[in-house]
Parts: sequence; structure tokens; C-alpha cells
Amino acid sequence: MIITRKAMDRRTVLRGAGAALALPLLDAMTATNTRAAEAAAQSRLRLQVIYTPNGMMMQNFTPAQAGEGYAITPILKPLEPYREKFTVITGLAHKQAEALGDGGGDHGRSCGSYLTGVHVKKTQGADITSGPSMDQIVARQFGEATQISSLELGLDPPSLVGSCDTGYSCAYTNTLSWSTATTPLPITINPREVFERLFGNGDSLDAKSRLARLKQQASILDAVVEDARHLSGTMGADDRKKIDEYMQSIRDIERRIQKLEQGGADDVALPAYARPAGIPDSFVDYAHMMIDLQVLASQADITRVGTLMIGREVSGRSYPEIGVADAHHPLSHHGNDPEKIAKLTKINTLHMEQVAYYLKRMSETREGDGTLLDHTMLLAGASLGDSNRHDHRDLPVIVAGGLVRGNRHLVAPADTPMTNLMLSMMDRLGVQQDRLGDSTGRFAGLTA
Amino acid sequence: MSPAMRCAKLAAGILTAAGFVGLALHGIAAAETPAAARSTLKALPVPFDASARTPSDRTHLLQQYCSGCHNDKLKTAGMSVQQLDAARLGPDDATWEGILRRLSLGEMPPKGMPRPPKEQVADFTHWLAGSLDSLASASPNPGRATLRRMNRTEYGNAVRDLLGIDIDLSKDLPADDTGYGFDNIADVLTVSPTLMDRYITVADRVSHLATGLASRTPVSTDYKPVKDLFENAFGVPAYNERASDELPVDSRGGGSFKFYAPYDAIYTIQVYLNPGTQTETEIDADNRYEVKVPLKAGLRTIGASFPKRLALEQVLIPRSTKGPRTAIPTTVEQIPLDVQVDGVQVKELAIPSVAKGPNVAQAFYQRDVMQISLVGPYDVKGPGDTPSRRRIFICRPSASLPEAACARRIILSLARHAYRRPVTAADIAPLMKIYDQGRSGADFDHGIAAALEQLLVSPNFLFLRESDPSDSAPGSVHRISDIELATRLSFFLWSSIPDDQLLSAAERGRLHEPAVLKRQVGRMLADPKAWALTQNFAGQWLYLRRLEYQKPDKDAFPNFDQRLRAAMLTETQMFFNGIVRENRSVLDFLNADYTYVNQRLAEHYGIPGIYGTTFRKVGLDPALHRGGLLGQGAILTVTSYNDRTSVVLRGKWILENLLAAPPPPPPPNVPALDGAKNGKLLTVREQMELHRSNPVCASCHTKMDPLGFSLENYDAVGAWRAGYAGQKVDASAVLPDGTQFDGPQGLQGILLSHKDQFVQAFTQQLLTYGLGRGLEAYDMPAVRKISTAAAGNSYRMNTIIMGIVQSVPFGMRRTPQK
Repeated sequence: MIITRKAMDRRTVLRGAGAALALPLLDAMTATNTRAAEAAAQSRLRLQVIYTPNGMMMQNFTPAQAGEGYAITPILKPLEPYREKFTVITGLAHKQAEALGDGGGDHGRSCGSYLTGVHVKKTQGADITSGPSMDQIVARQFGEATQISSLELGLDPPSLVGSCDTGYSCAYTNTLSWSTATTPLPITINPREVFERLFGNGDSLDAKSRLARLKQQASILDAVVEDARHLSGTMGADDRKKIDEYMQSIRDIERRIQKLEQGGADDVALPAYARPAGIPDSFVDYAHMMIDLQVLASQADITRVGTLMIGREVSGRSYPEIGVADAHHPLSHHGNDPEKIAKLTKINTLHMEQVAYYLKRMSETREGDGTLLDHTMLLAGASLGDSNRHDHRDLPVIVAGGLVRGNRHLVAPADTPMTNLMLSMMDRLGVQQDRLGDSTGRFAGLTA
Repeated sequence: MSPAMRCAKLAAGILTAAGFVGLALHGIAAAETPAAARSTLKALPVPFDASARTPSDRTHLLQQYCSGCHNDKLKTAGMSVQQLDAARLGPDDATWEGILRRLSLGEMPPKGMPRPPKEQVADFTHWLAGSLDSLASASPNPGRATLRRMNRTEYGNAVRDLLGIDIDLSKDLPADDTGYGFDNIADVLTVSPTLMDRYITVADRVSHLATGLASRTPVSTDYKPVKDLFENAFGVPAYNERASDELPVDSRGGGSFKFYAPYDAIYTIQVYLNPGTQTETEIDADNRYEVKVPLKAGLRTIGASFPKRLALEQVLIPRSTKGPRTAIPTTVEQIPLDVQVDGVQVKELAIPSVAKGPNVAQAFYQRDVMQISLVGPYDVKGPGDTPSRRRIFICRPSASLPEAACARRIILSLARHAYRRPVTAADIAPLMKIYDQGRSGADFDHGIAAALEQLLVSPNFLFLRESDPSDSAPGSVHRISDIELATRLSFFLWSSIPDDQLLSAAERGRLHEPAVLKRQVGRMLADPKAWALTQNFAGQWLYLRRLEYQKPDKDAFPNFDQRLRAAMLTETQMFFNGIVRENRSVLDFLNADYTYVNQRLAEHYGIPGIYGTTFRKVGLDPALHRGGLLGQGAILTVTSYNDRTSVVLRGKWILENLLAAPPPPPPPNVPALDGAKNGKLLTVREQMELHRSNPVCASCHTKMDPLGFSLENYDAVGAWRAGYAGQKVDASAVLPDGTQFDGPQGLQGILLSHKDQFVQAFTQQLLTYGLGRGLEAYDMPAVRKISTAAAGNSYRMNTIIMGIVQSVPFGMRRTPQK
């Protein structure tokens, strides 16, 4: 994307108008020199979470040795080409996902507590209560600089049935992200909707038509702000406040359009990507499409925080393409049947292949003097360990990206809260937090 | 105990949230009567004098019975009568209105305190109401709302009426905040960057769709029929009845929806059927059946259904105790699936039945439609001849009509309707500019689309603008212009922009004339667009919008399903709509002897002999114990909890929505109901003993609970029950003043004896909705005037609507102070 001087001229005109209306001067408007833009690019870090449901076949996940150069296990095999880029951590716990007197509902609890570290309220009603989630805490800070503060995606449709795990509202398993203790953020499962949310109504991302579209939109907004100024002059003080709200909102959008036009100040052209029609039939195509969109969103700096739920808890999806016609959730309760264990491992491995695809796409996309992956922190894994027992004490965790050391298997001391790891992750991202859910401190060893 | 001390005790008992004048008159701001405005509300000597009483008699009455608590020192409930003088009413009309209200309801003086004789109170209230009304007609105060933007519903309707394009925008725009019970309240409707973002996206999409320039890339549009989904679908057959009026009469199951085809082209209709697995929420390509059809651009009705037939019968094999079990092989049958477009069958697909195995009857796995997807357009022929293109392109460039001139004509017409007023050169210039920009490098139609897009995000479209005459003095009142009146009228009755007829009458400056106004209102109420009044006003006044979120417990109410939910909603909607269309008495809301049912609802109510899914009006036999809103399932369900009825919720609902006498909020930390005592199951009545025995609770609950008790024969989903928790239902009740009544019939009697209070309450609700602002004390004279007119005309709905339309607050406006 080329910075157009034209954009700045319009900006100046609006600043004049803004002064007359006593609108606040938005900081983004002043960062127009390249040095500032470069510095901004350097600090452009991202957080991504990829979540797999129904736990993991831990025997085939956990490497036998701890430390560097561990032998790769069957489930981690797809990630082997990127072993320098990620750390495997086992032994972390989410104690708040245990029953603690509430009876059944491990799946509802494990998902609700995964990024929050909170013992969620057992209810099917309107009084759902969790806690603010890590991704939203980061989004609150990172989102100030981007068009969209965070992207919540998934591959299993959210359920609208009353309870999704004994006694727990579907709200707990429909999403990982909570902006407040009582506000879960819905996920989007349709790639077309994602594309439209990121890039508007256009058919594809070819630069020429996008720019033309943006230009027209900018002209329209200029014109309606003028309409508003005319109206405002004829109004009483109360009414003028309403018009001011309108004008402020328009200016907010113009600021984002300007960001889009300026792009990343490093002439990165977005690949021509066509608007998806809908949800692909093949699971792998579907997963790849959603990951592609997530990568595009990072590349275009539309957002810096994303979560992708490969499946919801108690997902019943079957995977005929890898020879598993059984539903996932019943398989995860394998009862030590070797045939079921083998099928479950195949599913877990297929999911890890999608994580590998994400690492591939991010590491082959350049940004500044490195790749997108260099500036990203990825957390991948499941909210349950041994699925047969609904174990919450030994969770499968992968932390990847340029901000962590790779090629290691760390074994956390027993009962180390996973929230400690999340605090350390946030440290690396430059988001200061004292605590998260049930955290007791930091997790040493992430970068050591 | 001295009166002062007793007062203080009572005051402590009465929750401070019960603002003296605030109960039904929301947010009366003291700032409404600043010094300058006071000058316009002259303190008149009391002109109304029907009895021999003098003003000083009345002042004395007030001081004698009220100043014990309501004096300058104690200021109980924030009010003092000490300075009041019956000879000079203004400008404390807020306080006087509060006094009138409390006295009329018999709430003051409080129980236990000395009261004047009934005739004196009656004379006082009669005089007070008359005086306040006289004051108001001498110096009308219409109040003022801030600039109001269209809400989501109104925006969708405006797009429909402006462009002839009827698409559901509820997913594209965020929900609006509500105030005073409605989502069209000016002060509450804010604008945020998120909202503007959405407006821009929607404007882009709509402008291109309407002009026939939408994207040509095939996309999938999905529709999911509403289902009773269960995690374990065993034993839940799909319904053996027609799912929608759009589907064939002899059909079963399936679904129908409206699809807007952007082009004359080929589309694939994909029908996803239930996979017959344990969870009925999964859909997959294995159970997808499709057909390619040509569709004409515009709104199409797409349907898929099965012909009705008996469920596939297969006998469950009994387990025998001796010998081997014989297995009867299960054969898969081919079932026909009908696909329809605009009511005409386009294809009959053959679907295999679900054969789970020899032990399971296929009756448990009836085939049903989980989702219908439309994929397209493919092989685009052209934009077609759609209603929206016809409406937009009122001319075409030709040899005799250059492009710019035709564009101007089109844009002028669109702007006039969108902005709801005659348009000026200043309005057109920026639209022509964007037309030029859109035209260059493309074509005429693209230019028009660009102008339309700008129109749809302009504040002239989004805001209902009203201006004060430039020469009006601050604080003065003026009649709103006819143009402004047209907009107020159409948003009141249609939740949409004025049509050409209304706009033209306004432009001619005749709309405010009584005969013209009456004719227009009559025309508007007869128009199908008046359904908006039912959907939006009744939907909110009667809490109908909550019905879809109610989740009655499946174990307690296994028969409550989506069909019943939908039927309840339709009943109350048709009921309200019928009263509007037939100009019936609003007292029908209390005691109609008819209602509207279909078979499902009739079965729920125990009404025999009703067959089929279509709704029809039926007379109600008194033995059925139904009649009026409080016998309707929708109301009874939204005023209950998911697993049980609530006497308090129902009582509160009646007080708030039918009598405009809402109780104050409860104190914090109210414990849950105690279900058992000494091992004995308590009745609801016994559980709520605390409400009566504790004076802090009693002050409010003695008003609410009796109303709810009388409805206890209706369970949490509105079905009649003779007993509950092993005991016979006791539906007897006693009001605070000692009046006894029993059951729904008794309640009807009580409500009818308060019919004037009901009519005033209804008027207040409808007036709030019509004005787009909460009511203040100075609106009460208008409310009384309308109610009195209604009483004089058999309480007809039309009289109330016309009363509102012709009222001071609806037809006038106050210039702000500065």
C-alpha cells in the first residue's frame, strides 16, 4: 500500500473543520512521518490462540524427555518442521475447571476457564458468569491501534440449545473470549462473514478495486460530515450533541480508512484473495480458509488478537477423510480401547496439522525485516488433558512464535496454574497484568 | 408517638426509590421549569369552581392531612406541601400532579393516618384535575425531545418503503437501547462508531442490491427453520403438520423463507436433512440434497417440505426370554421431498429414510429439514425487472434526456422521500457530485448507486429532524410544521417514512387541518403497514419480544415447543391488531369474549373442535376462564419463571403495564422462597407469608400479590390447572382496601372497576411510544383529555390514537431556553 499525499490533504481540511467544532484531535492523525510508522511496525505484536476440543491423547502427545531436542511424538509430528519455533509445555493445570463441589460439567467448566482462570458459575440461565479472558485483556490494549480489536473464529457452530454440558449454559462452550465477567463474545464460523467483516463488501482483495472502493467511501463520508455541519448550525445545544456523536463516529471510521490506505508503510501488497462463498464441505479446506483469513487480518494489521476454535467442547464431528467415521466426543472417552485410542490420536494429529498450517502461513509472510511469526505469540492446545478422565491437571500446551525459545519440552511442577503461563505471555507482549484468574505468579522458563 | 416521629418511621419504611412524584411520571426534571419558563406559565387564579369550596378550604385540607409528614423540615419523599396554595397552582404542576395521582389512587394519606371523608377527597381531585387541565389549555407545554435517529426496525422499514427492497437487516445492525420500555426513545438512541460502521456497510450493500449491481460472485445464504433441538433426539419426531402458511396444505415439516435473488440467474437450492444422529445440531454434506433452478431477481419464497403421511411404521421387536431373537431386516424407503419457489413446486427429490437398525422403528427418525441454503448467482443473465429498480429508475437516459438530467430527476425523487421533505439545491449538489464520481470509469447505474449509498448514511436520512422557527423566543411553544407532522405520524403508525400521499398532503400545508388529518390517520391505520403498531408498540408494551427468550423447563412442561410459542405470539398480535383495525374498545384488553387460536393453541387452552394451523377468531365460553390479555398464553408465560409461576411477577406486570402504578424496586438481599417448613411442602401463599407479615415488604406486596394470586390457576406456560404441588389452587385474593375477589373472573371485575385508570395507563404508554420520549408531569393534562374523549366514545382505539395525534405534545414543540 502506498501512502498517498492526497489522504493527508483531506486530513488537513478535516482538521480545520474539526477545530471549528472543537472535536478532539486524534493521535493517529499526527503519526504521518515514516520514522514513527516504522517504530510502530516494530512494536506490532500479535496474539493468537488455537483451541482443540475434547482434550488430547496425552500418551501420544507428551514427549518422553524434557528439555531440548526431545523426540517428536505422533501428535506433534505435523509440527516437526517448525520445532525451533515452539515450546511444548506439559503439567500445567486449570484447577478452577474442576468440580469444586458443582458436580458434572467438566467440558463447560474447562472451556469457560481456559483463558480466564475462573471457576465459572454453574447455570443455564441468564446469570452466566466467568471472568475477563486473556485475549480480551490484550485486545483492550492492542485494539486501540487497529480497525478491529479482536477476531473470534470457530469451525463448530455455536449451539443454541439450553445446556451444552450438564447444567452449564451453552454460552460457556460457544466461545473462549469474555470481555467482562458477564459478556461472552460470539464466534464467527462463516468465512464469508469473516471476509466481509475484515474487508467490506468487495469481491476480492485486488488492490486496485479496493483502493477505488475506499476512495469512494471516503468521499461519501466527507460529504455526509458536511451535511451534518449544515444541520448542526440550525440546532439547539441538545440536538447538536447528537450530531456531534454522529460526526465523531464518522471521523473514527475515516481514521481507519486512512490506516488502510497507508497500509503497513512497507509496501506489502495483500495477496489477491477471493471472497469465500460459504463454509467448505471439507474440514481441512474449511480450517485452512479460516486460518488464511486470520493471517490476512494480521498482515493487513486489521487486528492483532485472534482466537480460533477448531471445535467446541463435546464436539461430535466425525473425520471420514482420515478414516474416522465415529464422532469425536464419544471417541475421546476411549476406555482404553486401543482402536478408539488410535482413532482419537488421528483426530488430534489432524488438528495439529492445522496448527502447523498456521505456523507455515505466518512464517512465509514477510513483515518488516522478519516474518509475521517473528512478531506473534501463539498459544495452541486443549483445555482438558487426558480426555477419558476429564483431567484438568496436565494440559497439552504449545507456545510458538518469535517471542519464545523453541525446540524444548518444559515440564511444569505439579499444579502450576496455566494462568501463570498466560501472565508471562502477556509480559512478553508488553501487556502488564498483576494477576489473571487463579494465577499465583509468573511462569519461569518461557524465554530463559 | 408524635406525627413527626411516626412519619419518620414510615418514611424509613417506604423505600427512597419511590420518588414521590416519580412513580409513573418518569424522570421529572426540576430543570424543566427554570425561571424564564416560569414566566410563560402564569399562576392563574383557580377558574374552575363547581362546588361551594373556596381555594383556602382546599389549601387548608392539604395542610391539615399532609403537612404532618410533607413539610419543609421533614420533606418526606422529597416533597413538601407547606408552601402550596390552592389559589395559585402554577408553576409547581409536577408536585400538584403527584398529589393528584396519589389521591386518585387512594394511596395517600397512608394507611393508619387520618383521612378526610371520601366526598372531600373526590371533590379535591376533581377540582385539581380540572384546574391543571385549564392551566394547560391556557399555557400549553408540549415539551421537547432531543434529535431522534431511526432505530433498527425503522431503518429497515424505511429502506423497504424507499427502495422496494424487503430484506432482514436485524443481523446487520446492532440492537438499540431502550428507555421507558421502548426502543424508539430519542434521548436514549445514541450513535457510536460501531453503529456508523454498520450503517456504511449496510448502505453499500443495499444501494448495490437495489440498483441491480450486487456482487456476481456466488455466495451461500443459509436459513435454519426454528426447531425444538434436543441434545438427544431419541423419540422426538418431526412434526406431522404444516410448518408454515407458505408451504403446501398437505405438507409436513420443512421450512420456508424469503431469499433476495440479486440477479436473474441460476441458483442451487440445497436442503440439509437431519442426519439421524444423537445430536440434531450437526449438519453435513452427506445429508444434503440439491436442485439447480433459474430464479428471477427480487424477493423469492423458497420452501422445502415433505408430503404428509403416516410415520413409517415398524414394530419394535420385543425381547423374548427364550430362544434367539429374530431380526426383521430394515429396508430403506424413498421419501419424496418437495422443493418450491414462490409457491410452485420446482422439483421432487427422493430421500432415503433413516434406517438405524432392526431394533429401532423408523418412526423415531422422521426426516426433517435442518437448513436450506441458496448458492448463487451462477450464469447471470441480468439485473432483471425488480420492484426496486422500477422504483429507482423513474427515467432512463435517452436522446431527449441527457444522463445528468435524468440522474438529477432520479436523485431529486429519492432525496425527497428519504429526507421526508422538499429538497433544496444544497441537498442535491453533494449527491450529484458523488454521482459524477461513481459514474466516471463505470456507468450511469453505478453513479446512481453511489448517490443512493450517500443518501442512506446522510444525517438527513438517519435523523428525524425538527427545527424551531428562527424567530421563536426561547421557551415559547409553536406548532410543528406539516412536514414534521407527517414524519411523526408515519413513524408512529408505520415505524417508517411517509408515503407519497402523506408527504404531498404535508407539502400542500393541509395536513394539520382536522378533516385532512383524520382522513390520513384512517387511511394509515387501514394500510397493512400499520402492522408495525402491533409488532413494535404491542411487542414492547406487552413484553412479547421476551417470549422467544423464555425457556420453560422441559421436565415441568414437556409440551411446550416452538409451535406453541409461535402460536401464543400470533394470538396476542392478532388480538391487538384486531382491536386497531376494527376500532374496538380498548377494554377488550381486559375482558374480551373472543380470541384467536389455531389447533395447537386451542388444545393448550382446552378449546375443542379447532383443526389446522391457520388462525381464526373464536368466541370464548366463560367456562374456559379466558378472555382479555390476562388469559393469553404469551402474557402468562413471560410473567413466569422457567419452572414455576410467580405471583409477584404477574402482579407487578399488571400494576406497571395496565395500571401505570409500578411498585418501587425491592430492597437488596431478599432471600429465595422457602419451599418447605418442618418437612411440609408449603403452598406459594404460605411461602409468601413474609410479604404480609413484614411491614417493610407489605407496603408494596399487598398491592402486587393479590393480583398474581388470582391468576394462579394458570401455570407457567398459561395452561389451566386445578391443583399444584399436590394441593388445590387457591385463587382468592384481598386488596389492601379489603376488597375480596377470586380467580381471573374476579380480577377482570377489579380491573374493570378501575377502567379509567387503565385507559389512562394505556394512553400513557401509547403516547410515550408516539412521542419517542418519556412523559412528564406537564403531559398529564393531554393524557386526561385523551382518556376523557375515549370514555365518551366507548373507549374506542381510534379515539385514543386520534387523541394522541391531535394532542399538544404531538402537534407542538417548545423552543429550548438556549
